[in-house]
Amino acid sequence: MARGGTRPLDRLGSEAGREFPHLLAARERTAAGMGERRSSLAELKHDPDTCVVLMGSWGREEVTAESDDDFMILVDGSERDHVEPSVEAARGVFDRAPGEQGVFGEPVYCEELVENIGLDRDDNRNLTRRMLFLLESVPVTAEGVYSSARGKVLDRYLDESIKAFHPPRFLLNDTVRYWRTMCVDFAAKERAGPEKWGIRNAKLRTSRKILFAGGLLPLLDCSRFDRKAMREFLEQQLGMPPTDRIAKTFLEHGAVDAGARALGAYDEFLGRLNDESFRRELQEVTRDSADESAAFADVRRLGRDLQAGLLAVLYETDYLPQVVRDYAIF
Amino acid sequence: MATATRPERGESIVSRHHPVGASTGYMGNLRGDWKAQVAESWTVSPFAIELSALSETELPSLRQYLSAVPSLPFRYVSVHGPSKNRQLDEESLVSELTELARYADAIVMHPDTIDSADRYQGLGRKLLLENMDARKSWGRTRDELAASFADLPEAGFCFDIAHAWSIKPDMSVAADLLDGFSDRLRHVHLSSLSDELHHVPLTEEHEQLFGPLLDRCVDVPWILEAPPRAA
Repeated sequence: MARGGTRPLDRLGSEAGREFPHLLAARERTAAGMGERRSSLAELKHDPDTCVVLMGSWGREEVTAESDDDFMILVDGSERDHVEPSVEAARGVFDRAPGEQGVFGEPVYCEELVENIGLDRDDNRNLTRRMLFLLESVPVTAEGVYSSARGKVLDRYLDESIKAFHPPRFLLNDTVRYWRTMCVDFAAKERAGPEKWGIRNAKLRTSRKILFAGGLLPLLDCSRFDRKAMREFLEQQLGMPPTDRIAKTFLEHGAVDAGARALGAYDEFLGRLNDESFRRELQEVTRDSADESAAFADVRRLGRDLQAGLLAVLYETDYLPQVVRDYAIF
Repeated sequence: MATATRPERGESIVSRHHPVGASTGYMGNLRGDWKAQVAESWTVSPFAIELSALSETELPSLRQYLSAVPSLPFRYVSVHGPSKNRQLDEESLVSELTELARYADAIVMHPDTIDSADRYQGLGRKLLLENMDARKSWGRTRDELAASFADLPEAGFCFDIAHAWSIKPDMSVAADLLDGFSDRLRHVHLSSLSDELHHVPLTEEHEQLFGPLLDRCVDVPWILEAPPRAA
């Protein structure tokens, strides 16, 4: 995993003459928490083709005080009755239970991720698991199993249909589909009830956008590579957290100032999110009360700044705008 | 890795930027008629506008206009606060600006017009300080603006690139301002300047000269302080 060395976020900060203290603190918090979890989970019996994977803020290296342990037991194979470690055993190690949607905290079979792309079998849950696995996950145990499974998912996307010096449309379409699915699901959840509207909206404006951009930007940049190099490039990119992928794009496309402001806004959001009163206020905000909330006003501002930077690198640099025009809409 | 690159694009940097907007400050013939100024701005860009109340006497009518109009079409609205004909005491002025801030994304002020920074704290991040031109005695350089930002730590930076050019035409002051306040940058004022340092349409020569620095500002609105250059 290419998570060490001089990291793009550090380089962006260095070139822009600024720091990202909350992102760096979150990375340190993630590393410390990961170390604890790795030690405990290593004690559990593993089948040779299983590993424990953490997603969400763990995969983004952005753990805050209230981050959930969104884990899955990944099986590099097909569905079967018995899997070691069991979900119950793994759950005993984690501090905070996964969400209630059934996306996390269950065995996930690589075969389903690979074979069920598209059509009815690719339900919301399978799409979510696959995209989070690709875009914001990190192995806690058995890294070799994790790499093998990710390689199989990538192989499925980077099949014979890809062309040298063209973004891989299959994976690009699925990444865009996942972002739009999150946006549509946000509206569906609001219709079901106003609870958590504020925090969901805030995440859509910030961390979900980071997740999406962390996939979109490298995929568009694939247009610079031949087929072999494209695969190596994506493997290397996906080994980094999304903020490093985004920072690298800003660096390579000469948009250091815009990148520093965009990730600076995200850095500020993470800092605020680590504050209990801010989080509580967001939890309680609804569409009706949003205009009265100072916390939500900050989210709007920071989300706007983040998006402005991302749009600038997509539309006002010397190379990406043509790629966006050719591939991002149709 | 085998990689491909493509040649740089040769088009105008202003024409490819988004969003660009107009300042109503150059619409002297329409002064006092906010509706007409907004309509004129819309012909330049429906995305951004700066409502310029450079004279204090324009504030009440602007507030009346903004409170009456259902909504403006622009996604980014800034208000340029008074820099001349100041008669209101500062507390009353800030009170007016605070009312206007309800309708705007930003309130731009000249740092040399601020007597007591404390009074402006309530504007928070909506307050932007603009760098001044060579005619002024304060707020022109990085050091001078740093002192103002020290008093108003939440304030953003409105980068008037022509003002910076007027201090040093080699653009070193402009670069220094961006180096110092890039993380505060919220929007750009864009024009050329006449010999008397009045805003005039951006010349092709200045667009080329300003280009490398404008490239560092691609994520914020650019407000034209003079009519767009005729095609």
